[in-house]
Amino acid sequence: MKVNTENPALVFEEKPLVLGDPDFNKVTTDICQISEMPIKKTPKWWWIAFTISGILAMNLLVMIGYLAWEGVGVWGVNIPVGWGWAIVNFVFWVGIGHAGTLISAVLFLFRQKWRTSINRFAEAMTIFAVICAGIFPGIHVGRIWVAYFMFPLPNQMSIWPNFRSPLLWDIFAVGTYFTASALFWYTGMIPDLAIYRDRATNKIKKTIFGILSLGWRGGNRQWKHYEVAYLLLAGISTPLVLSVHSVVSTDFATSIVPGWHSTIFPPYFVAGAIFSGFAMVMTLAILARAVLPALKNYITMDTLERMAKIMMVTGMMVGYAYSVEFFIAWYSGNIYERFAFVNRAFGPYWWAYWTMVSCNVIIPQLFWIRKLRRTIPVLFALSIFTNIGMWFERFVIVMSLHADFLPSSWDYYKPTWVDAWTFIGSFGLFLTLFLLFIRFLPIMAISEVKGVLPQASPHYYHDMPPAGKGAING
Amino acid sequence: MSSLDNNKSVDKKYWRSLDQLQDTPGYRNFADAEFPEQETEKQLPVSRRAFLSTVGATLAFAGLTGCRRPVEEIVPYVDAPEDMVLGEPEHYATSMPFGTSSYGLVVTCFEGRPTKIEGNNLHPSSLGKSNNFMQASILNLYDPDRSKKILNGGKEAAWEGFIEGWNEKKLAYNDNDGEGLAVLCTESNSPSLARLKSEFSSAYPKADWVTFDSVSDENIFAGARIASGKSLRPAFDYSKAEIILALDSDPFMLDSENVINAFGFAEGRRINNPSDSMNRLYTVEPGYTLTGAMSDHRLQMPPSRIADFALALAHELESRGVSIPALTAYGSPSKLNLDENWINAVATDLLDHKGKSLISAGRRQSKTVHSLIFAINHALGNIGNTVSYQKADDLQVSDRTSLKNLVSNMKAGKVRTLIIMDGDPVTNAPVDLEFDAALNAVDQTVYLGSYSDDTASLCNWHINNAHYLESWGDCRSADSTPSVIQPMIEPLFYGKSDLELLQVLIHGESKSGYEIVRQTWSDILRGHSFESTWRKVLHDGVFAEGKSGTESVRITPGDIEAHLAANPFRTPPFSMEVIFAADSSVYGGQYSNNGWMQELPDPLTKLIWDNAALISVSTASENGLENGDIVSIKLGDRSIEIPVWILPGHAYNTITLPLGYGLSGLGRIANGVGYRVNDIRTLDHMDYASGVSLQKTGEKHELATTQNHGSMEGRPLIREATIDEYHHDPAFAQHEVHVPDLKSLWEEHKYDEGNQWGMSIDLNACIGCGACTLSCQSENNIPVVGKENADYGREMHWMRIDRYFNGDLDNPTIGFQPMACQHCEMAPCEQVCPVAATVHDSEGLNVMTYNRCIGTRYCSNNCPYKVRRFNFFNYTNTLPELIKMAQNPDVTVRSRGVMEKCSYCLQRINRSKRTAKLEDRELRDGEMVTACQQACPTEAIKFGNILDQKSNIVKAKNSERTYEVLAELNLRPRTSYQARLRNPNPALTS
Repeated sequence: MKVNTENPALVFEEKPLVLGDPDFNKVTTDICQISEMPIKKTPKWWWIAFTISGILAMNLLVMIGYLAWEGVGVWGVNIPVGWGWAIVNFVFWVGIGHAGTLISAVLFLFRQKWRTSINRFAEAMTIFAVICAGIFPGIHVGRIWVAYFMFPLPNQMSIWPNFRSPLLWDIFAVGTYFTASALFWYTGMIPDLAIYRDRATNKIKKTIFGILSLGWRGGNRQWKHYEVAYLLLAGISTPLVLSVHSVVSTDFATSIVPGWHSTIFPPYFVAGAIFSGFAMVMTLAILARAVLPALKNYITMDTLERMAKIMMVTGMMVGYAYSVEFFIAWYSGNIYERFAFVNRAFGPYWWAYWTMVSCNVIIPQLFWIRKLRRTIPVLFALSIFTNIGMWFERFVIVMSLHADFLPSSWDYYKPTWVDAWTFIGSFGLFLTLFLLFIRFLPIMAISEVKGVLPQASPHYYHDMPPAGKGAING
Repeated sequence: MSSLDNNKSVDKKYWRSLDQLQDTPGYRNFADAEFPEQETEKQLPVSRRAFLSTVGATLAFAGLTGCRRPVEEIVPYVDAPEDMVLGEPEHYATSMPFGTSSYGLVVTCFEGRPTKIEGNNLHPSSLGKSNNFMQASILNLYDPDRSKKILNGGKEAAWEGFIEGWNEKKLAYNDNDGEGLAVLCTESNSPSLARLKSEFSSAYPKADWVTFDSVSDENIFAGARIASGKSLRPAFDYSKAEIILALDSDPFMLDSENVINAFGFAEGRRINNPSDSMNRLYTVEPGYTLTGAMSDHRLQMPPSRIADFALALAHELESRGVSIPALTAYGSPSKLNLDENWINAVATDLLDHKGKSLISAGRRQSKTVHSLIFAINHALGNIGNTVSYQKADDLQVSDRTSLKNLVSNMKAGKVRTLIIMDGDPVTNAPVDLEFDAALNAVDQTVYLGSYSDDTASLCNWHINNAHYLESWGDCRSADSTPSVIQPMIEPLFYGKSDLELLQVLIHGESKSGYEIVRQTWSDILRGHSFESTWRKVLHDGVFAEGKSGTESVRITPGDIEAHLAANPFRTPPFSMEVIFAADSSVYGGQYSNNGWMQELPDPLTKLIWDNAALISVSTASENGLENGDIVSIKLGDRSIEIPVWILPGHAYNTITLPLGYGLSGLGRIANGVGYRVNDIRTLDHMDYASGVSLQKTGEKHELATTQNHGSMEGRPLIREATIDEYHHDPAFAQHEVHVPDLKSLWEEHKYDEGNQWGMSIDLNACIGCGACTLSCQSENNIPVVGKENADYGREMHWMRIDRYFNGDLDNPTIGFQPMACQHCEMAPCEQVCPVAATVHDSEGLNVMTYNRCIGTRYCSNNCPYKVRRFNFFNYTNTLPELIKMAQNPDVTVRSRGVMEKCSYCLQRINRSKRTAKLEDRELRDGEMVTACQQACPTEAIKFGNILDQKSNIVKAKNSERTYEVLAELNLRPRTSYQARLRNPNPALTS
């Protein structure tokens, strides 16, 4: 960064958000060419990845079928550990689903322009993660065929769900979050879908994108309405970023289980969710950059570095939460609470606890070093570590159940192969949806990226010497 | 048109199902296998009632299944039996024979099928209470693996065929006075059997009659005979004993008459207010028994040293002026490692409580020890007070010497026909007798047995034995009160009772059990008008006037001296020892194929579905052993392999080997479960053995347990104090934790009208036996989940007994705490259920709505007592049809995926409320009894309306010892506990 001497008002000259001497047309073609290629020309890596993840997604269906046929006993759950991997996975996926809305809504409201290159697929990731998350509470119940009892549907028994139960709050929280995220995602995509429609080379594409773009013409009034709607949705989504994981955390926090019964859970869960969400965006962004070199100009090293900084901050927030939990357990004088935390770190699940601490607190400290923040393999490895660590965080929390009040009922939880394949299957579903997304939909907000180009500045052609001016058309 | 079509399809479906019901080969196979009596129906006279009650309803269960719900058709009564109201239970009195003991029962029957067993409060051995063996015996009745047919050489035969065949042999035996004929039966105390035995002896004077049981009080009887010169049967009254010394015995769990022993013991330490006194229990034992867990002082001792201890105690008592006849003949004890302090303290206590103390020795100890104990009890004036002796006329007591003679006769070819009445002697006879080989030397062998066990497979004839709930019989209790065994149901598999078989052997013709028993009772009821008294006996279950009365006993020093001269009292040199013990679940093997028993945790080890060699912590560490390590135990030139389980507090260098496992051919439950320990149990070492060696094999076996953690971790769960501490601070239990005030944002429900149910469990009375667990299982249709699932924390018991060790690993004390749903007023489970499937009712019960439950398991997670149970699989779906008959129709059978838990026996509450309402009155205190409460032998459980100030429950709750577990969480549990007290001898504690 250097000091801008020519225009002191700016103080610092920002680096360009899009590299490679972009113009509006280049942006359009760069993004569109990813999904516009004919089916026959679909790259090999896509087919391989799609086949593998498709098989894993099918495997998820098979596992769910087996579970529904045999009963929850095919999982490792028992008494006292009534919740196992299913709930761990639920919280894990909901957590991942956090980054999308945070990037689109919160960073939008804070005018963080660097978000434009990653917000679209972060939102897509959110939606797919929430889909994966939504599966688990549905299938983990003992009688899947009556899981709909959880919804407040009028029925002949005149019985409502129990509004005191956090599981019901979950339904509302996750349901609202999913709806708002999906709307936000779709609304933001309309101008891009219109570009796809305009560029469509065959009737089918034209029809589909024609319908999806809702008659978008790019008129001034449309843009006005669009921006107001986008702003409103961002405003609506922002509290949801905080509420959904806070509500998920109440599944634990409102109970009386030592290790769960804690007021720190809502903020701590939100921080953890952002942490894990950014890690997953990072993982996907690095992979996308690797297979789609055109994206390197958009998802720049600077963007990745900013994400790394957010991860470091949120990682330290969860680290702080971990230590405060220990302090409060000791300070409360509650013998059950004290035992729960000592047992977490040194009991039968010590390995899970220390995996969590290493991945979430210790390893992200490497991000203090600027060079590592800007090294792709390091970023990739650290994002994976964070994903692992955050999964373990949820595992450690759920495993508080294994030793609660009466030592007579303490037991050990072991997942079964069905647990493992169900979890792997959820990744299959997630990746399948994501691969379909990058193959068929605009993976970057084209119009928003154009908005952050230097050319988009109203003063661009006025301030700059003519030699540096790019084309206006796009 | 469409309506016509509909009708048609209905008709079609109706007939189609009936067609299939009758014609499908698959169905036929099923029915033949399940109900073989159907095949012989045409030949045998079957009463319509029996057909309807046993076959009719279950036949319909085989109906075609629809998409999801099975189509069930019910065969209604055309002419209903008089007095029977469908859905209303009937109660009948009967008795359960159990070795030389018998327990009076009241059996609940629904539409002619027994479903629940309770004790008969008129019966002196059950007093309306029960033990595990009584509760679980109902499942043995419905065991689909019981022998179902009479077999001759493995082929199906008819009873008539057997009678015919026997009559051919009988002529010869009538001519030669029964030479070459022998009967081997199990222990009993049946007047009818005794009558038939004497008839048998007069018909065949030269025939052999041998009694043998694998677990027997033989030594106790023999000891009494040595000391008194008479055949006597002891009866203990623990309620009168202030000082109790139990030597290698387990009077509250596995010894004979454990129900009244436990009850008497609890009576002796019932503390209602601080001025009450309590008894003191000393135990000296090799294993760790339930009695040991209840004791105030416990000394670990290898079995061979118990004799030395008794002798040292006797000498100590004599040195203090108690004259013990023939004591010099016993010699002096080897003084090795005996705790002098301990003996002195016990002796002082015994002397201070002359006539109010009680010394009991276990069945493992030799008859010599028992004669000595007899002499000590006699010298202390206990006989006639805490111990009494009855005539033992009708008793058939096991006799290993005569078994030995019988086997040698068999081997020598002197026995041509051997009739075995139950007991699987091929498995259970001492291994060195080689009973199986001897059996092959006998021309004709007849086995009346319940299972196709090893004996059945080696005998020519196998007659299927009738269960006591389906046959006529009689028995005497320990105090010789006679009682009748009346059947509750026609024999499910047309089995025969021992009486019916004996009748054929003697007279050559069949007679019904009913007539045989009535014939005997015409003698017992002599002097009374027979029909009316008989009816009263059937109604009451007992004939109290038929008691023969206590025998006055005198000690016969001459006999003792003569016996000791022939059998000197000796202590083996120090070595590793084993004891052979009856198992708390399967006893000697009688309950091996009983799922409830296999899944009932052992009170001490909490092991299920297995037996293991129990060893102490130091023995384990010295030999480098961990739980589940398979060891080879060598005794002489025989050895067995068995996994070990470490039981803290077990005597050092001693191994407990529970009997009754590793059996073959019994059925789907017993097969492959546990390890056979009989293979080192020889005639000379049937009780215990010294000179054993133990070798680690390096292999492992997964042992299943329901409790993985034995320490309370310093938590105030079981609260206990010594009696002195209690006197000092009677409310000590309430002072252990601070219970904060409940601060609520709104006004909480008051629960101040109607019936408000509550329970109180007195930990000072609870002995941890588990009868409540089984009673609850039987009452509430609780499924058995199998070893793997139960080990994985998926057992279904609504009532469990938590067992905690306290103190030093080598010599810990043990505490028990029954734990079931506490019915918290502020139930944490209710708040978190998303579908409101678990809610509170107006009577303060935390109730489950199974239909509403979707199975999130959140309630269980949030239950601090972890008493909720989840149906991880469809556990009831795979129940054999026959076992479904054991289910209580008042209680919903839960399907897969729902949570369940203790309901405080809601069905019983509703039934008693209905009864009260029909009689237009208020529910009376004590009228509503939960299943666990009813079974509890020590009356540790109280239940009732906590608003009724005069009720027993309020009295219990008002006790200063009352506390609530985890009260500090402000859950307001309706179940409270009364803290445990111990009464240590100050001379031993200071």
